[in-house]
Amino acid sequence: MLDVTESRLSADFERERLTRNIGRTDILFKHLTQSAAILALLLLGGVIVALIEGSLPALRTFGFAFFVTEKWSPVNDHYGALAPIYGTLVTSIVALLIAVPVGLGIAIFLTELSPLVLKRPIGIAIELLAGIPSIIYGLWGFFILSPVLQRTLQPALISVTEPIPILNQLFAGPPFGIGILTAGLILAIMILPFIVSITRDVFETVPPMLRESAYGIGCTTWEVVLNVVLPYTRSGVVGGVMLALGRALGETMAVTFVVGNAHRISASILQPGTTISASIANEFTEALTPLYTSSLIALGLILFIITFIVLAAARFMLAHLQRASGA
Amino acid sequence: MNDVVLADRAAAEEESRIALTPGRPEKISVRDLDFHYGDFQALKSVNLPLYEKTVTAFIGPSGCGKSTLLRVMNRIYELYPNQRATGEVILDGQNILDPSVDVNLLRSKIGMVFQRPTPFPMTIFENIAFGIRLYEQISVAELRDRVEQSLQRAGLWNEVKDKLNASGLSLSIGQQQRLCIARGIAVKPEVILLDEPASALDPISTAKIEELILQLKHDYTIVIVTHNMQQATRVSEFTNFMYLGRVIEFDRTEKIFGNPRQKRTQNYISGQFG
Amino acid sequence: MDLYRRRRLKSRIYMTLSVCAAIIGLIWLAMILAALFWNGLGGLSASVFTQNTPPPPGDNGGLANAIAGSVIMTSVAMLIGTPIGILAGTYLAEYGRYTRLATVTRFVNDILLSAPSIVVGLFIYEIVVARVGHFSGYAGALALAVLVMPIVIRTTETMMLLVPDSLREAAAGLGCPRWIGIGAVIYKAARAGILTGILLAVARIAGETAPLLFTALNNQFWSTNLNGPMASLPATIFQFAESPYLGWQKLAWAGALLITLTVLLLNIIARALTSQKVGR
Repeated sequence: MLDVTESRLSADFERERLTRNIGRTDILFKHLTQSAAILALLLLGGVIVALIEGSLPALRTFGFAFFVTEKWSPVNDHYGALAPIYGTLVTSIVALLIAVPVGLGIAIFLTELSPLVLKRPIGIAIELLAGIPSIIYGLWGFFILSPVLQRTLQPALISVTEPIPILNQLFAGPPFGIGILTAGLILAIMILPFIVSITRDVFETVPPMLRESAYGIGCTTWEVVLNVVLPYTRSGVVGGVMLALGRALGETMAVTFVVGNAHRISASILQPGTTISASIANEFTEALTPLYTSSLIALGLILFIITFIVLAAARFMLAHLQRASGA
Repeated sequence: MNDVVLADRAAAEEESRIALTPGRPEKISVRDLDFHYGDFQALKSVNLPLYEKTVTAFIGPSGCGKSTLLRVMNRIYELYPNQRATGEVILDGQNILDPSVDVNLLRSKIGMVFQRPTPFPMTIFENIAFGIRLYEQISVAELRDRVEQSLQRAGLWNEVKDKLNASGLSLSIGQQQRLCIARGIAVKPEVILLDEPASALDPISTAKIEELILQLKHDYTIVIVTHNMQQATRVSEFTNFMYLGRVIEFDRTEKIFGNPRQKRTQNYISGQFG
Repeated sequence: MDLYRRRRLKSRIYMTLSVCAAIIGLIWLAMILAALFWNGLGGLSASVFTQNTPPPPGDNGGLANAIAGSVIMTSVAMLIGTPIGILAGTYLAEYGRYTRLATVTRFVNDILLSAPSIVVGLFIYEIVVARVGHFSGYAGALALAVLVMPIVIRTTETMMLLVPDSLREAAAGLGCPRWIGIGAVIYKAARAGILTGILLAVARIAGETAPLLFTALNNQFWSTNLNGPMASLPATIFQFAESPYLGWQKLAWAGALLITLTVLLLNIIARALTSQKVGR
């Protein structure tokens, strides 16, 4: 029925030759893929090195004062990063303050309340929002949202807070339409789908049995969310929020149109300001002196470091708390 | 507890050193085999003969090491880190655990079929041809013949001959498993390892697989891991009973199930544990 | 009874808030899309595709050179970033799965994935534009490629890891060398997912503006020369929108609509691909 031993031996020799050749290719392919992976590492290293190299002139000239000086004067060729840093942080915080509650609300809606028919379309709608390029948000914010805010929300805020001591400084006029608050609002809309999709995914990892046992003892929906879902998914939610923060910090086009591009810090969030990315985007091609360019690159370095820390912390927290919760 | 295990072990080793069928060559000899998953020792001093062109069944409770032992023989454990085997597994006079042995060549001689069918995401024809092409450069006509041969041997030809270009995944689970067997024998191995091949199948498919094994044993050395003791009695000539990583008793199947030497074997057979 | 009623009220309030949140989210999306279509359709006409960007005030012209530039740079970026991404993802899922290099690479990849795109632009400016002395489409494409790579790496690894190990063992059990197993079996099994990742990467870079601003810069005229400044839709939109000219602003909206439609289309195709795979 089968081959006799003799022909099997010769087949063996042939096999040995073929497998030896193929084996060599295997090692080649392994090294090829390994090199590609190392390239990713080199890329990150390259980014850091290039940024540092480009920032050195500015950092050497201004020293530590660079980080705490508000004055940004191309005329005098003297630059300080305080206003962009402030703007980046404040717009992102405003964005988080708005987007996190709304995002959580939508996620809760999708996982606890929504009838099945609605779940998919709304989920898809949220993901479509996520896919819209940021320049679209910038356009919309500039042409549509700002004028509306200028006419309605901002005057309202100004007049409502006028008698209240601290708040009236936070919301002082005149209403420009553009400014820190507007930028924060646009950012909030941008990071909203991000927060929704991550929190929704995280909420769905809660074992149905856990939910059922809470409902089973008569908990209201809100109580289930507060006492079962949120604690169980705490690490995931925090991680997701931090990732969204990382995104907001680095966002350029959405903010550039509406932040006002003024290198100054005001107490009022209704005033124009600037963020790191907006400064770079608006001024880089106009930067005439090497010091100007270097200062902008230094801003980029600061932004990179801030986002790096936030992202690394997010990842670390996610991994750490996941282990702790026994997941 | 320990004393009992030691006494069992000594007795088992004594027995396995006795030539059980004088004249029948050993295709594979396992000598002093230890296996570790990280720090955990899963196989302890395994000594075992596997006779040529016979069917040997590995039985034992979950975790006894029977699948681990099977997977040492084609070194499939090397795909994973922290798994290592020490000792000797002699195939045709060569220790296959030696790092100098080409593992791909080894696996062309020792085929494996898994618990769940694993058809490749290709056509039925391609599934079989894929393995053949790894080792032989033959004409298209010859390839077609070889594919037909393998499917015939696996008892699948009549059911798929009209749809060789259909995806391998379009078959029923029983057919998929026979496809995997056909794929395995297409590369002309000498040994076939079966890791609970019928446990995911319905009784009819299981019967077909067992029939297949009884036919294949005329040309291949077969080792089958099974949880189903009746299956072991139906298809195998020798049985290896294992417990906690050791060979407790190895003997002709009728002896193991009819009149085992070890108390523990007797307890397992009669269903008192495992 | 009173306590229960209070709890129920509390829950009702919060759940209503949550429904409001969902409605707000949907309204925002609707408003943005509505504004986009309203303003964009008005500026959309055949000339958008046939004529180049006009000088101010921008009443007669189109976006042909910008569209062409975007297509060219996106294609080049994908040609560079995709193979490297797939290879690296293969390493993470196969050869290097349990190695330290893989752990570090995954971490680094995550950082690159979420890094601000403007920083990527600065990076390419430093190592390409500053050294070569002029802006170029190559630099723009490279910046986009740096954005593509992490996306493709991540999706390739994820999709390949979804393929069960039993399939790998079956291939290895036949004596199949790793690279043939990966090529003939694993890639085939993960094909739909990897393709989805590629489509999503294209969708991502199609709308990216920041990295192009000081690498490819922009170009008023028709140019397919990668070695010089190259027009792109996003950069053009940026320039036109911030200007006071109505004609330019109209074109900016039209361009925005084009980008959005492309991105939405790509997302829909990607989604269709994944559901097809699952349905089987």
